[in-house]
Amino acid sequence: MNLIVKIAWRNIMRHRGKSLIIGAILFVGAFIMTMGNGVMSGMDAGLNRTVVNSFTGDIVLVSDKQENDNVFVEFMGKAVAPIYNYVDIKKALDSLPYVERALPEGKNMAMVLNEEGGAPGNANLLGVDIGRYRKMFPGSVTVVEGRMLEPGDQGALVPVYAQKEFEAYTNIWFMPESTVLDSARLPKEVKPDYAALIPKTNAVLMGFNEDNSTTDIRLGIKGIIKYRALNSLWGQFVVIDIESYRRCLGYFAASDKVDVPASEQKLFSLADENLDAMFTQDSLMTSARGAHTVRAAAAKPAAIRTAAPPRVDVDAGAYNLVCVLLKKGQSAPDCIGKLNKLSKERKLGFRAVSWKKAMGAVGSMATIIKGALFVFVMFLFFVAIIIIVNTLSMAAIERTTEIGMMRAVGAKKGFISVMFLAETAMLAFVFGGAGIVAGIIGVNVFAVFNITSTNDMIQLLFGGDTFHPLLTAADIMVSIGQLAIVTLIAVIYPTRVARSITPLDAVTRD
Amino acid sequence: MNIIETRGLKKNYALGTTTVHALRGIDLAIEKGDFLSIVGPSGSGKTTLLNIIGCIDFATEGSVRVGDLEITSLSDRQITDIRLHKIGFIFQTFNLIPVLNALENVEFPLLLMKDHSRVDVKKKSEQLLDAVGLADYMKHKPAELSGGQRQRVAIARALVTNPDIILADEPTANLDSVTGASILDSMREMNKREHTTFIFSTHDANVLKYASHVIKIKDGLITKE
Repeated sequence: MNLIVKIAWRNIMRHRGKSLIIGAILFVGAFIMTMGNGVMSGMDAGLNRTVVNSFTGDIVLVSDKQENDNVFVEFMGKAVAPIYNYVDIKKALDSLPYVERALPEGKNMAMVLNEEGGAPGNANLLGVDIGRYRKMFPGSVTVVEGRMLEPGDQGALVPVYAQKEFEAYTNIWFMPESTVLDSARLPKEVKPDYAALIPKTNAVLMGFNEDNSTTDIRLGIKGIIKYRALNSLWGQFVVIDIESYRRCLGYFAASDKVDVPASEQKLFSLADENLDAMFTQDSLMTSARGAHTVRAAAAKPAAIRTAAPPRVDVDAGAYNLVCVLLKKGQSAPDCIGKLNKLSKERKLGFRAVSWKKAMGAVGSMATIIKGALFVFVMFLFFVAIIIIVNTLSMAAIERTTEIGMMRAVGAKKGFISVMFLAETAMLAFVFGGAGIVAGIIGVNVFAVFNITSTNDMIQLLFGGDTFHPLLTAADIMVSIGQLAIVTLIAVIYPTRVARSITPLDAVTRD
Repeated sequence: MNIIETRGLKKNYALGTTTVHALRGIDLAIEKGDFLSIVGPSGSGKTTLLNIIGCIDFATEGSVRVGDLEITSLSDRQITDIRLHKIGFIFQTFNLIPVLNALENVEFPLLLMKDHSRVDVKKKSEQLLDAVGLADYMKHKPAELSGGQRQRVAIARALVTNPDIILADEPTANLDSVTGASILDSMREMNKREHTTFIFSTHDANVLKYASHVIKIKDGLITKE
């Protein structure tokens, strides 16, 4: 081995020009690879911060009756199917070792009625238990005017983006309760419309559920908020308390809950499962004894309702989805599989989907941008491989006499292969290693600059409003692995060329 | 005892659309310890014959036996082993590894054999370089040596594995007459001392006086033994 290393090193030094060309390619390739890995890693971390840890969680549970997995950014405004059994789902989630936290949410479209007679606006409503929302996604929203919703409050938090959108379409300027219109505090682009603005501290929201039934509610605006990033996307979501949301969508609220004795629960099964059964011989309606039971059962609830009102369990009402945050290090695809299995086994009626699927086009966009970056880096690899292959092949042909003579005095083909591999590996180690180190420095320098953008597409690329490329130990190992793969691929053909040189080639060349 | 035997050895080359018959049926038997010279004009087939005997080229037809082995049916790996253990080469143009110094060039085949200690390899290589008069040039790279010195390094390298046969293709062709004579003296001395079989091609009449046997070859056929 010493002999091979000695020959390889001296050959590198002897052919400095070629070694420098290959070295420079390896350096640039390794540098770009490392930077690319840093950008992709930063994007992943950024998306986790701005999407997973601010809006969706790692996994979203939707009703198994829900047609599309895309529940957040559904441009056709299709209603999201409700989940009525969150109490059971919660019990199951609480027992799972891989779940860090879960947040049930109501999510649907609502019309924002214009009491001045003009065209109505639209809003995506996010109905949440605000205490749990803030615990699940801490720091995801900041109040820019008014105050935050507090647990027990009934009201709305209107994002800055939605506030401007309403103003643009309806001239209505939503403001927090107990504030007055102050032209000095208006955004620059709204100031010219000051005279025409219709200030409102509450909104009339008309929700649409999956049955196309509508209910409207009037809700006070508690604050104007701003999301951590991707404001033109998340900014369409008006946050309201879950009980108001349920009333707006015509769902049963937690306060509507009554406890029905087991003896009366037969009535629900009649209504739910088979109404025709009421008209069969065994049905309660046709049997005199059964008819008595029905009448008795119908009479009882009134007696229950007169009792002291039970404490409201907010989870007893309807939701539309459940955001699930996984514990660190858990594989989302694996957990999705486990959750779906669990749902089937325990008949929980939900389907687990990835946050990317739940985000529809936005999730795909993130994948596409990441994929494009990956393809770009792979393209660079390819170009680097071609140039290295070409240069090494030329070097092998130029060294026909030397290699042929080595073969003539007894060197086997394996010796020639290892010698070529050793030369390329040394170049890769020195120049590629330097490229990786330069890449690490580059990533850290970029991170210091705190490059920011307000453009949503760029924010998707950045994974947030600030470009924070980062390299973990795993990323650096990936870069080293990529460099090793490039080196191995690049050396295959030149090695074949060198191995094919015979002693006779050396003699005839003379 | 014959160390090399050939029977009906033929070698054809395709040259464009024509076929060149380099060897047309060579029957040859060379005894161990011989100091044999193959002579003939350019293009007569001397080098081709040496290359086939030395396992660096293949016959189109016929058989070649080196020691106990019929080499025409061996794999590349087995052929390489024969080159390493049984045959030493001295080429016309010296052919040393340019990045290794004189001592390392001589050590090279021994290191490939992997059955000598590092100390033995060095000692043996130094002794041989000393024997060919290059004790003061061991650390010199080939580019720093004269033609004669390089050829001496090549001789030392050819001898270092104690091969049964040393093949030399016009070993003095690129040397002046004094150096050429000195090289031949060295070869003859090794032949006498080690009983190594030397086969060398030449068309230099002065070289022939060193040979114990001479084979004349013309148009791919032996004309006189």
